[in-house]
Amino acid sequence: MTDSTAQCKTGLLGCLGLSWFFRLLSSSIGQKFVMGLTGLLLCGFLVAHLAGNLLLFAGAEPFNHYAHALHSQWELLALAEFGLVVLFLAHVYLAVTTTIGNYRARRDFYVLKQSKVPGRIIGANSWMFASGSVVLGFVILHLIDLRLGLRSSLHYLPEENFEAPFRNTLAALSDPISRVVYFLGAIILGVHLSHGFASAFQSLGLNHPKYTPLIKIIGKIFGVIIAVGFASIVVFVPGMWR
Amino acid sequence: MNHVASKNLNLTLKIWRQAGPKQPGGLKTYQVRGISTDMSFLEMLDVLNEQLIASGEEPVAFDHDCREGICGTCGVVINGQAHGPDSGTTTCQLHMRRFHDGDTIVIEPWLAKAFPIVRDLIVDRSAFDRIIQAGGFVSVNTGNAPEANTTLVPHHVQQDAMNAAACIGCGACVASCKNASAMLFVSAKVSHLASLPQGQAERSKRVLNMVATMDAEHFGNCTNTGECEAACPAKIKLSNIAQLNREYMKAALLSKE
Amino acid sequence: MVTVADTPLDGRCPDGNIASRWDQRKRDLKLVAPNNKRKYTVIVVGTGLAGGSAAASLAELGYNVLSFCIQDSPRRAHSIAAQGGINAAKNYQNDGDSVWRLFYDTVKGGEWRARESNVYRLATLSTSIIDQCVAQGVPFAREYGGTLTNRSFGGAQVSRTFYCGGQTGQQLLLGAYQAMMRQVSGGGIKLFTRREMLDLVVVDGIARGIVTRDLVTGKYETFVSDAVVLCTGGYGNAYYLSTMAKTCNVTAAWRCHKRGAYFANPCFTQIHPTCIPVSGDHQSKLTLMSESLRNDGRVWVPKTKGDTRSPDQIPEDERDYYLERRYPSYGNLAPRDVSSRAAKERCDAGFGVGPSGMSVYLDFSKAIKEDGESVIREKYGNLFHMYERITDENPYKVPMRIYPAVHYTMGGLWVDYNLQSNLPGLYVLGEANFSDHGANRLGASALMQGLADGYFVIPYTVGDHIATRKVKPISADRPEFHEALEAAKSRTAAILNVKGTHSTEHFHRALGKIMWDHVGMARNEKGLLHAIEQIKTLREQFWHDVKVIGSGETLNQNLEHAGRVADFLEFAELLARDALYRDESCGGHFREEHQTEEGECERNDADFSYVSAWEYQGIGTESILHKEPLTFVDAPFGVRSYK
Repeated sequence: MTDSTAQCKTGLLGCLGLSWFFRLLSSSIGQKFVMGLTGLLLCGFLVAHLAGNLLLFAGAEPFNHYAHALHSQWELLALAEFGLVVLFLAHVYLAVTTTIGNYRARRDFYVLKQSKVPGRIIGANSWMFASGSVVLGFVILHLIDLRLGLRSSLHYLPEENFEAPFRNTLAALSDPISRVVYFLGAIILGVHLSHGFASAFQSLGLNHPKYTPLIKIIGKIFGVIIAVGFASIVVFVPGMWR
Repeated sequence: MNHVASKNLNLTLKIWRQAGPKQPGGLKTYQVRGISTDMSFLEMLDVLNEQLIASGEEPVAFDHDCREGICGTCGVVINGQAHGPDSGTTTCQLHMRRFHDGDTIVIEPWLAKAFPIVRDLIVDRSAFDRIIQAGGFVSVNTGNAPEANTTLVPHHVQQDAMNAAACIGCGACVASCKNASAMLFVSAKVSHLASLPQGQAERSKRVLNMVATMDAEHFGNCTNTGECEAACPAKIKLSNIAQLNREYMKAALLSKE
Repeated sequence: MVTVADTPLDGRCPDGNIASRWDQRKRDLKLVAPNNKRKYTVIVVGTGLAGGSAAASLAELGYNVLSFCIQDSPRRAHSIAAQGGINAAKNYQNDGDSVWRLFYDTVKGGEWRARESNVYRLATLSTSIIDQCVAQGVPFAREYGGTLTNRSFGGAQVSRTFYCGGQTGQQLLLGAYQAMMRQVSGGGIKLFTRREMLDLVVVDGIARGIVTRDLVTGKYETFVSDAVVLCTGGYGNAYYLSTMAKTCNVTAAWRCHKRGAYFANPCFTQIHPTCIPVSGDHQSKLTLMSESLRNDGRVWVPKTKGDTRSPDQIPEDERDYYLERRYPSYGNLAPRDVSSRAAKERCDAGFGVGPSGMSVYLDFSKAIKEDGESVIREKYGNLFHMYERITDENPYKVPMRIYPAVHYTMGGLWVDYNLQSNLPGLYVLGEANFSDHGANRLGASALMQGLADGYFVIPYTVGDHIATRKVKPISADRPEFHEALEAAKSRTAAILNVKGTHSTEHFHRALGKIMWDHVGMARNEKGLLHAIEQIKTLREQFWHDVKVIGSGETLNQNLEHAGRVADFLEFAELLARDALYRDESCGGHFREEHQTEEGECERNDADFSYVSAWEYQGIGTESILHKEPLTFVDAPFGVRSYK
């Protein structure tokens, strides 16, 4: 009893006997574990999202059916969207806080810095925060365009219209500037994943001499597939269904 | 003989000079002449210091002791690389034949918030001691030990433990990491003791306490860039960090600690 | 002439059966009750194997331990550089080893100049050391089934050496360091890093504290204690070039000597045969290549003087495998002192190889031809790699070049069986004392001694001093503390005030040259007398001409070095005098006047079977010699032949 009263002084989590969980989440390893886990789950979303979007190649009919089928299960969709938002926000929040923390820990920078990793010319992985930021910006734009329907220059078909999902998607890719932005977004996402995928396994403690080399290759391939998959939509789909 | 006869080099050195922890620091340029290619890097600095003493200037302070690559005392960033260009090599074992006549060499101390500069190229690495103090040991009092062969350790387990235990505590991992993370150092000790039967009793407590201290000492987080592994003179593997992550999560989620 | 004290010095060993002497002593030692221990403070200076293990063990018992080291962390102590291994009489190999055999090998290896009782205790404790280290998690090499494995080492016919790759010293030291850090976290040890001990404080004839200088701030401090345990290593850096770390020094031991502690057998210095030769005037230290290399490497020089052909151009019958020629039964595995002298003899006679003519070949071509390069690579890969990094020569293709170098010092402060010096309350452990190795140390025995002293001897004997003498608390305001503090300050100030023209490095190198030339592997009366004069002159020059830049109030490595060299310049004279007085050849001390026709050591048991313990009388005044007679009952005198 005295234990739990003592713990209560440490706040709600303490009362619930969860101060250990708070400690875990505030520790460096706990944070990168969450970072890796959210990253991998978001990769799962990307696979589903890409699979759905590849239907754009099949034409308006299949894509619209897919979209309406998805939206008809609105309870599940809401739950999934909520989950995605939580994963995404956690991933972004931790990226920002750890980057700030890491910057403070480094504090001083060398006048001259060179990598000792064989073949590495510039620290390729310093791109994670940069590429992540670009991806974040792109995701916001993408949500404005197609989830919230807020881009004022576009003429959205109302949601009730069966043609809306397909038409609105094509509308978002109608002008060359949008296409370039979406194309670059896909490529940078791929770059982010090509390190992030394998890195997540390492953060989760999944490293084994038999599997790690394979995971690293899969990570690169995964990055390429995602980048090429989305980019191909941007490049070819508008031309196919003008 | 495949030994290339020794040559003499004339070099320009740009060395970080800082009188004390609170004083401002900066790069200062010096010329050294007639440096034999057979010299070690630290012997080259010895030559510079003799030159400085002769001219009445304070010699460059740098940490060093065994000069055979095992004590972990020496370590500077040479042209942007911790311990210089050779892999698996400490600064004291780096030789001047690695450089060319006329080269400019930039020499900086380990930089990290957790390693404050003491003077010139010397930094305070006592944070490492405090991490070990937090749990990097097996609690066994002298005289308490059972007969050695009652604890069987398979050959491959011993080898894994030995590879991790080989860490010399020099701090190159922290110095080379863009986040000034000490994960490689901490993981080496955690892996060493977690792989052995002797380390099991305190396995959870050890990793939780060591990581908590590491965080409290203001080391950065790991972003899996692998720079530490490439800079490590004892060739400690990145897989140790994965093991550290595993050990930590297991302890945090499942142990009663 | 040397003044010899009338009464012989007594090592205070127990009598009776040698095998039960330590038990008997433990029975007689007085104890301090557990709750009283925390009232007592013990200072431990040095954090190598002896100091680290002593500090940890004493804190575990409940004493307040103050631990000091000169480095930035206790883990840097030079014990870390030991490569080969640690001996223990476990007899895991079933090859006939026993405590007695380890004892006998050690006495014989030391040419009957060590104290029998101490050596026997060391051999007895050796097995507990392995148990303790394994329990700490030291990753000793294992068989596939999980049991401990052993290898052979010089001077023994059994396999009793435990090892962790080529980093045994490192792993043992980290074990002791971790045990220490556990006590630091528990509050039992207060750790003081980057502190140099500059004096011992003696109050009413008992060691009661030390004076230190904080190497970062330059601040002088005094510390009071109930006992002082000195674990400050050896004095090999008196030779400038040695396999020692750069900060290894004699200062702490020498200051204790100046406060009354006897210095024993300083002339017993070990020259290790397989080191990488000096490559030029810039050389700052010498690197050892493990003795184990001589298992497969063959040592040779050309048969023709000044032969400058590259080694592969010299046909087999024009090579002189001199170790195999001179010592057919031990061949290339002759002990360290013997092999070192043989190399020097060949080089002095003009048969040496390499640019300076001061090296011999260690050739692996036969082993590579017979076993294949991969086998050799597996056994010695890391050593070959280190050799190539330093010399830029590939030892798989051309023979290594090696030459002897100063490695270990058997002499040190005199201690009795309890490891207490003649100054009550001052204990000396590890390489800093003189006790267990006699005139020559066998490979893999230094680690054993340091840990035996720290883990298993000092925890018993310190309590006896506290309990028997009923030491009372004192304050650091006592005049003795003030006097010692001022003495340390003024010495540093004096060095800074010389403002001469030559650097400390210059004087250290000059001293090293005198020592190596005249007090090195072979010594003679004329050379020693000459060296003593030269050392005196150099010392005077130092105090008139040394140039130290900077102040004493900041981190000043140049000033630290100058203080240490100043002490070496005083100590070196004692070393040479001891070598002069010991008019015999034994182990690491070879007097050219006393050799057989084949150039082997000629020991003189009748006149020199004693420990020379020197009592300080002031600089420029000759020390008084106290003799501790050595008797050998269980390991009777024999001939140390390796032919």
